[in-house]
Amino acid sequence: MEGRPTVGARVKQNETSTPAVCRLSGISKAFGATQALQDVSFEVRKGEFLALIGENGAGKSTTMGILFGLLDPDAGTVEIAGRPQAMRSARDAIAAGLGMVHQHFMLYPDLTVLENIIVGQEDTGRGGRIPLATHRARATEILRDFDFALDLDRKVADLPVDARQQVEIVKLLYRGASVVILDEPTAVLTPQESIALYRMLARLQAQGTSIVLITHKLDEVMDNADRILVMRRGKLVAERATAETNTAELAELMVGDRIEVVEKHSAAGADVVLSVANLTVQRQQGKPALRDVNFEVHAGEVFGIAGVSGNGQKELVNALVGLEGAQGAVRFAGRDILPLDVAARRALGLGYMAEDRMAMGLAQAGSVAENLIAGREGKSAFSTRGFLTKSRIRKFSRDLIDRFDIRTPSDRQTVAKLSGGNQQKIVVARELSARPQLLVVENPCWGVDVGAITFIHKQILELAATGCAVVLVSSDLEELFALSDRVGVLCDGALNAIFPRDGLDAIAVGAAMTGGREGVPA
Amino acid sequence: MTRTLRKVALPIGVVALGLVLLLAFAPTREAVLAFLNGAFGGRNNFNLYSTLSRFAILLGVAMSVLVSFRAGLLNIGAEGQLVLGGLTAAMIGVYLPAPPLVVTVSALLGAMVVAALWAMLAGLIERATNVPLLIGSLLLNYPAVYLASYFVSHPFRDVNSGATQSFRILREAGLPRFTGTILDYGIVLIGITALVVIVLERTSVFGYRVRMQGYSVGFARASGFPTRRLYYRTLMISGAIAGMTGFVAVFGMNQRFIDGMLTAPLYAWTGIAAVLMAAIIPWVTPITAFFFAALATGAIGMERSVGIPREVGQIIQAIIVLYLSGVAGKMLSGRDGKGR
Repeated sequence: MEGRPTVGARVKQNETSTPAVCRLSGISKAFGATQALQDVSFEVRKGEFLALIGENGAGKSTTMGILFGLLDPDAGTVEIAGRPQAMRSARDAIAAGLGMVHQHFMLYPDLTVLENIIVGQEDTGRGGRIPLATHRARATEILRDFDFALDLDRKVADLPVDARQQVEIVKLLYRGASVVILDEPTAVLTPQESIALYRMLARLQAQGTSIVLITHKLDEVMDNADRILVMRRGKLVAERATAETNTAELAELMVGDRIEVVEKHSAAGADVVLSVANLTVQRQQGKPALRDVNFEVHAGEVFGIAGVSGNGQKELVNALVGLEGAQGAVRFAGRDILPLDVAARRALGLGYMAEDRMAMGLAQAGSVAENLIAGREGKSAFSTRGFLTKSRIRKFSRDLIDRFDIRTPSDRQTVAKLSGGNQQKIVVARELSARPQLLVVENPCWGVDVGAITFIHKQILELAATGCAVVLVSSDLEELFALSDRVGVLCDGALNAIFPRDGLDAIAVGAAMTGGREGVPA
Repeated sequence: MTRTLRKVALPIGVVALGLVLLLAFAPTREAVLAFLNGAFGGRNNFNLYSTLSRFAILLGVAMSVLVSFRAGLLNIGAEGQLVLGGLTAAMIGVYLPAPPLVVTVSALLGAMVVAALWAMLAGLIERATNVPLLIGSLLLNYPAVYLASYFVSHPFRDVNSGATQSFRILREAGLPRFTGTILDYGIVLIGITALVVIVLERTSVFGYRVRMQGYSVGFARASGFPTRRLYYRTLMISGAIAGMTGFVAVFGMNQRFIDGMLTAPLYAWTGIAAVLMAAIIPWVTPITAFFFAALATGAIGMERSVGIPREVGQIIQAIIVLYLSGVAGKMLSGRDGKGR
C-alpha cells in the first residue's frame, strides 16, 4: 500500500469547479447488528460519469437506496443541488432529478412504450383523460434529442431486452432526471448491446446528464467512467480518476489489501467423491443458467466456487442438492444422483447448508430442537412407528447445543429470536452431525458475527479432515481462499477457470469472475 | 407457554373490548344476564345444549381449517367441503337400503371421502393451473353450495314438506341424543377427532413435517420432506374433517339436509375466525370455537330477553374477523408460495 495516495488526498486533488448535483455526507446505515454503511461521503458532479464498484455486500445498493429515498440513513445527509434533502420516497428522489434503472426492469409489459414512459407523469386533462398527444410530442422530442430509435406504440412485452432498457432510460429523461443511476446495466446485455448502451450514455453525458454506474465489471468502468469510487465492507475505501488507475489496482482495492490465508492443512485424498459432468440448467427463456459444467471433488477436499452472484451459483447448488432439475450427470456414492429427490440424496450422505437462513436453512418459527432434527425426523434415532421420541430428541439437541456452542436459553427457544451467528450454528450443527460424505455450503457466513465466522470455518475444515468432500459457494473471496483446496470460477453459467490453492490470486480470480480467462482454463 | 399466551393475548384483548362494546348497547345487569342465560342457561339448560350443538359443528370446521392452515395451506373451502359432506350423508341416509348401522357408517365415510376429494380438487387446480389455493378453494364453495341447494329443491326434495329440504334419513340411523337433551353424540365424535388432531400435531412425525412446512416451504424442501405428498394429504385430511362435520350436522341435529342449514349460520367462516383467533395453535382452537358458539347463542338470548338485536353480536364477530385478517396477512407474508 505504500506510495499510494490516501483517499483524502485524492479527494482534494480531484476537487474541481464543476458543481455537485448531489452530495452524500457521513452516511451510516446498520441493519440489525450488521453495519452496512459507515461514514460514506461523496458527490456526483454535473455531467460526469461516476462508477461505484465493490463486491457483493460492499454497500453499493444500500448507498443507492439511501440516495434514492428507498432507505433512511442512521446518520448523515443527502444534498441535492446544494440543498439538504429529506428523501422519504422514490417520488421525492424523482422530483429532485434522480432517476434509477434497476437491474430488474420496472416496466409494464402489457402497456406500450409511450404508456410506460409517461407512467406517474400522466397529468390528466379534462374529464380525467390523459392528453396523449401532448405526451407523445414531448416523448418524440426526447427520442430525437438523444437519438433513440424506439417505436412508441409497440408493446413493451414485444421488445428485446436492450430496447426495454432504453425505455427505462427515456422514462427517466422524460421525468427530467439530471442524474441517471444504473445498477449493473450490462448484466442482461450482449457485448454489442453493451457498447451501444455506453455510446448512448455518452450522449446523455454530453448534454449535461450525470451518470452513476454501479457494477462489478472493471473493463467497462475503465472504458467509460471519469471517476471511480471503490466500496468495501460498507466503507468508501478509494477514489480514483480513471486515467490514473488500472483494472489490477481496482480489483485489489475491491477485495482488500491482501487476502490472509488462515491455517489449513489440506486433507484432500485421491478418491473422487463427487463428479459433475456436462451439467446444464436451462432457463425458461434465454441462455442456459448453467452450461456444461464439469468438475470433480475428492474426499477431504474443499472445492470453492467463486463468481459474481447470479452467474449460475444458485442453479449449481440447486442441481447438486436436488431442488431443481438439470441435464448432465452428477455422480455421488456410486450413482448418478440427478434423478433422485432431496430426501434420497440426503440418505446417500449429502449435507446442505443453504445461504438463505430465513426461508431455506431454518424454520424461523420452529424451535431449536425442531430445526436440529429436520431431515432425520423419520430416522429411528428420533422416532418410532411415526411418533417422535421426545426424550431422545431433547438429549440430541442439548448435546449439539453444547458441542456447537449455540447460545440459546433452551432447546425449545424459537429460532427467530437468536442472533444470525447462533442461527447459522444450528444449521452447521444439524448438517455436520449427520456425518455427510458430501457437503454443499452456500455463503455460510452471511450476516454472521466475526466470532462465529471463525468457528464455522473451523467446523467445515474439521469435517473435510474426516474425508468429507465439500463444495463451498461463496461471494467472499477471502473465505474461499482461506478454506478451499481449489477454486472454480463461474461466469455466465460456465466454469471459467479452476485455480489450485497455490495459484490463488485475487486479481486473476477477479478477472475470471468478470469474464477474463487469465486463470488455468477449466 | 408464555409464548403462546403472548400470541393470543392481543386477540383476547380485542374480544374483551368487543364485549364491552356489546354491553354499551344496554349497560345493565339484565343484558349480561340475558347474554349468559342465552349462552348457557334456559329451561333444563336448553340454551347450553344449543350452544354445545353449535360448538360441535364449529369445532369440526375449525379443526378442518386448522389442519390446512398449520401446513401453511390457505384452504378456505371449508364451506363447500362441509356442505358436500352433509349432502352426501343425507343422500346415503335417505336412499341406502341397508341396516341402520351400515347406513350410519356408510354416510360418515361417504361424507368424508367426498369432502376430501373436493378439498384435493382445489389443490390439483393450484398445481395444474397456478390458481392460488386461496382462490381455488374459495371458488369451489359455490358449485358445492348451489349443487346442494339444487338437490334438495328439485330431484331429492321432500315433496310432502313446504321447506326446501331432503327427506328424513332412516330414523334408526341417526345419531342418538344424550338422554333428556337436544344434544347428540356427534359432539363426541368431533371432540375425539379434535383431540387426535391436537395430539398428532405435537407427537407424530407427520405432524412435525406439516408444522415445519407451514413455517417454511423452502425449509421443508431443503430438508427433504415429501412436500407434494404432505400438501395433498393435508388437504384431504382437512376436507375429510369438514365432511365428517357435515355428516354430524345431518345425522345429529336435523336428521335431514335442509337448504342453508350449514351456510346460513356461517359455520365455515366462523371456524376460520376461531382458528385465526387461536393463532393457529391446535389446543387453543377448541376454546375459541366455544367462544364463538357462545357469542352467537348468547346474542340470540339477549335479543329475546332485552331486545338488543342479535346483529350486534354479529357486528362484534365481524370486527374480530377484520382484526384477525391481520394475523392471516402475517401468515401469508414471508411465504414464497412456490414449490408446494
